[in-house]
Amino acid sequence: MSTTMQAVPRPRGAAGTLVRAVLILLRARAIVVLVALLVLFSSLAPEFLTANNLSILTKHVAITALLAIGMTFVILTGGIDLSVGSIAGLGGMVAGYLLTQGISLGGTIVYPPVAIVIVIAICVCMFVGVLNGWLVAKAGVAPFIATLGTLYIARGAALLISNGKTFPGLGGEASRGNTGFPAFGQSFILHIPSPVWMMAVLFVIAWVVAIKTPFGRHIYAVGGNDRAARLAGIRVPAVKIATYVISAFTAALVGLIIASQLEAAHPATGETFELNAIAAVVLGGTSLMGGRGSVTGSLIGAFVIGILTDGLVMLGVSEFWQMVIKGLVIVLAVGMDQAQIRLQAKLLPYLQAGR
Amino acid sequence: MNETSLSNRDVVLEARAIVKRYPGIVALDGVTFRAYRNQVNVLIGENGAGKSTLMRILAGVEAAHEGELQLDGKTIRMQSPRDATALGISIVHQELATFANLNISENIFAGRELRQCRVFVDGPRQAVRSEEALRRLRMPMNVATESARLPLGCRQIVEIARTLDQGSRILILDEPTSALSTTETESLFDVIADLKRSGVTIIYISHRLHELLHLGDQFTVLRSGRVVGEASRAEVTRRWIVERMSGRADDDTINQERESAARPTALSVKNLSLRGAAGAEDSQAALHALSFSVREGEILGIYGLLGAGRTELLEALAGFRRMDEGEINVRGKSVRVQNVRSALSAGIALLPEDRQRDGLFQDLSIRENVIISGKRGMFLSRAGEIARVQKLASELRIAANDLELPVTTMSGGNQQKVLLARCLICSPKVLLLDEPTRGVDVGAKAEIYAILRRLAGKGMSIIFTSSEIEETRLLANRVLVLCQGRIAAELMRDEATDERLFAAASPTVAAGGGAVERMSSPECTA
Repeated sequence: MSTTMQAVPRPRGAAGTLVRAVLILLRARAIVVLVALLVLFSSLAPEFLTANNLSILTKHVAITALLAIGMTFVILTGGIDLSVGSIAGLGGMVAGYLLTQGISLGGTIVYPPVAIVIVIAICVCMFVGVLNGWLVAKAGVAPFIATLGTLYIARGAALLISNGKTFPGLGGEASRGNTGFPAFGQSFILHIPSPVWMMAVLFVIAWVVAIKTPFGRHIYAVGGNDRAARLAGIRVPAVKIATYVISAFTAALVGLIIASQLEAAHPATGETFELNAIAAVVLGGTSLMGGRGSVTGSLIGAFVIGILTDGLVMLGVSEFWQMVIKGLVIVLAVGMDQAQIRLQAKLLPYLQAGR
Repeated sequence: MNETSLSNRDVVLEARAIVKRYPGIVALDGVTFRAYRNQVNVLIGENGAGKSTLMRILAGVEAAHEGELQLDGKTIRMQSPRDATALGISIVHQELATFANLNISENIFAGRELRQCRVFVDGPRQAVRSEEALRRLRMPMNVATESARLPLGCRQIVEIARTLDQGSRILILDEPTSALSTTETESLFDVIADLKRSGVTIIYISHRLHELLHLGDQFTVLRSGRVVGEASRAEVTRRWIVERMSGRADDDTINQERESAARPTALSVKNLSLRGAAGAEDSQAALHALSFSVREGEILGIYGLLGAGRTELLEALAGFRRMDEGEINVRGKSVRVQNVRSALSAGIALLPEDRQRDGLFQDLSIRENVIISGKRGMFLSRAGEIARVQKLASELRIAANDLELPVTTMSGGNQQKVLLARCLICSPKVLLLDEPTRGVDVGAKAEIYAILRRLAGKGMSIIFTSSEIEETRLLANRVLVLCQGRIAAELMRDEATDERLFAAASPTVAAGGGAVERMSSPECTA
């Protein structure tokens, strides 16, 4: 048969295996990069792999990872949350205000205990999450725009609380009964820093929610096909709002951790954190179009970014070059995302034929 | 069968032994198709037979995996629709591809704008040439009219004018009349006759037999990706086409009439109204106070032209569109359908028309696609899900060796059964199906019919829409014909002839207020 038109060659068994191996590598690219970075930095900087350094590193990673876990849910529905950095800043400032200024109730100033402070700060942040979700799911504002708006609103609110000043001395006073806030982000349980515990616990919960609950599957469904999800009887707006609330919750934790570690609340805390979180999610293989990705990937992505940052610092690479390198890694990751999708579409028939 | 009254010399375009595969399906399996010069070459086949795929290959939109194309006896290669246009082959797609936000002449020159000083768009010259092309079609229109304000028939003419201006000598029309009223169809036929006279070769795809018999010179029948018949007009009869299209000796009406008249009413709808909305993306046909009822175990067909409101009616019943007025009773109980969930819990489930857009979750597995509507509680039980889905899969004979594969690996027919399974998992009392066999191969089609009859036999009420008269007649106990959002006729199966269905579905000139309402350019009344 004359095949003058584009005839596609059929791969043999070996080629099929190669194809599959390439696909697996592309899909697991975050792990590949992670291992490569670990090998690179530990060979270049001998002190990199020490227990002490890894502990510090993980503590740094926890911040990005927490945000990335929340961000994953949002991105899985096809949205994006640019406001997490500002929400973190707001959460810290609310806590700082309550700890240092208290609440005036009928003339007397009441200082709520630390647990209440934390709950209030988290609630305020989650309210911003509800606002994000409402704007996106009910008002029909594009997620990018809606959360860009709340990015400014939350940052402005954080600055307004203190008129732009820092709240120092969040240690609290015994006479006010509000000591103990620094323990939130500074304490160790079984020699592991508390932020790392939060990251671990939240990761496990997020993983279970994503994989094992109807809600998790609804998130994937909404991101995969919004209209079909509606027709399948899924409460699409509710699902979307929930993801923004989750994202805001993780942002609140991050804001509180940072305030607790510094024992001070600074209104500019968390600026550009959203970019790190998005980068981690994308590095972890979650598609910005929604519907495809995993929490595990985002965790790995957060580690990649954390290791990259800390490793470059240890190697004494200049801050400016650090930014260039980080940018290159992110662009490369997204490029690979696209390449994977194209390659997969191209190779799917062969994989089926090989079955 | 290959004996044709025309000799090979007259073949202008030939596709030889074309093979095209999609994931999970062979769309074209060694198809050889010839288009004869200055003839209306008709390509017939049921949904999913491969007609549109073949046309996309002829128009350079897609490349075949095997086979070759010859134009005037010379082998050609096309990488894109642009190449096809350069060779004089143009296609007017089933889904009209006009830009609603641009005016007529901008549409005609979209992507190939005439320039002034190489930089600026030469609007006046485009307008003149557009007018000229439209005049050739004997359809003068005001070329400054925005395309969104044109009725569908006129948009089609605009697309044909575009191909004319490009100097096309082979024009492919993919189901051009599926959206048109009788008058619009007739004027399109005049245009086609004119084009033929002026030396254009037409390739015409449709599954409306009466218009094919009226229009066609050369006939090719496709079934399941193969050519099963080729003949010229003199040899062709209606029976010849039907036999080849369906692969059956003739309409063996397997349907044993049930005495559904005695059964209780399952669903009654009173004064259902929906305001129309025009828009490029989400236009909505209006529905005017529809009232009807369906009995338990009855299969009700809804027939109508595109834009008659079939889809809107089903989507309103399923809670996917908010109805503006109307009462719905399910088995005697009044139901407020506010959204899909309330419809589902009232026992109304919808199988949507556009599987890809409204039905499937491409990234999820077959099992997840089925179970998505039927989950309750905190945690998923994988074992329980597998059992439920497997039971349904074997009941519906879903061909999949592994329910964990992505749903995209399945053929159209099996995907449709997956969505049917999703509806059934909610155990609906009333099942709504919008074009249940669109893009489904013949085998799966017969199976879906059998499944629907079995479900009706168990007492489920079924309402389906179809743009195929054959299908409507074959499956329905009773047919409602919609025309411009009103019930134009109600026919029992034995009364529902092709002619009566089509006549009722077409807006008459006198009552054609709706059609005129929609068009604001008075020139385009044809």
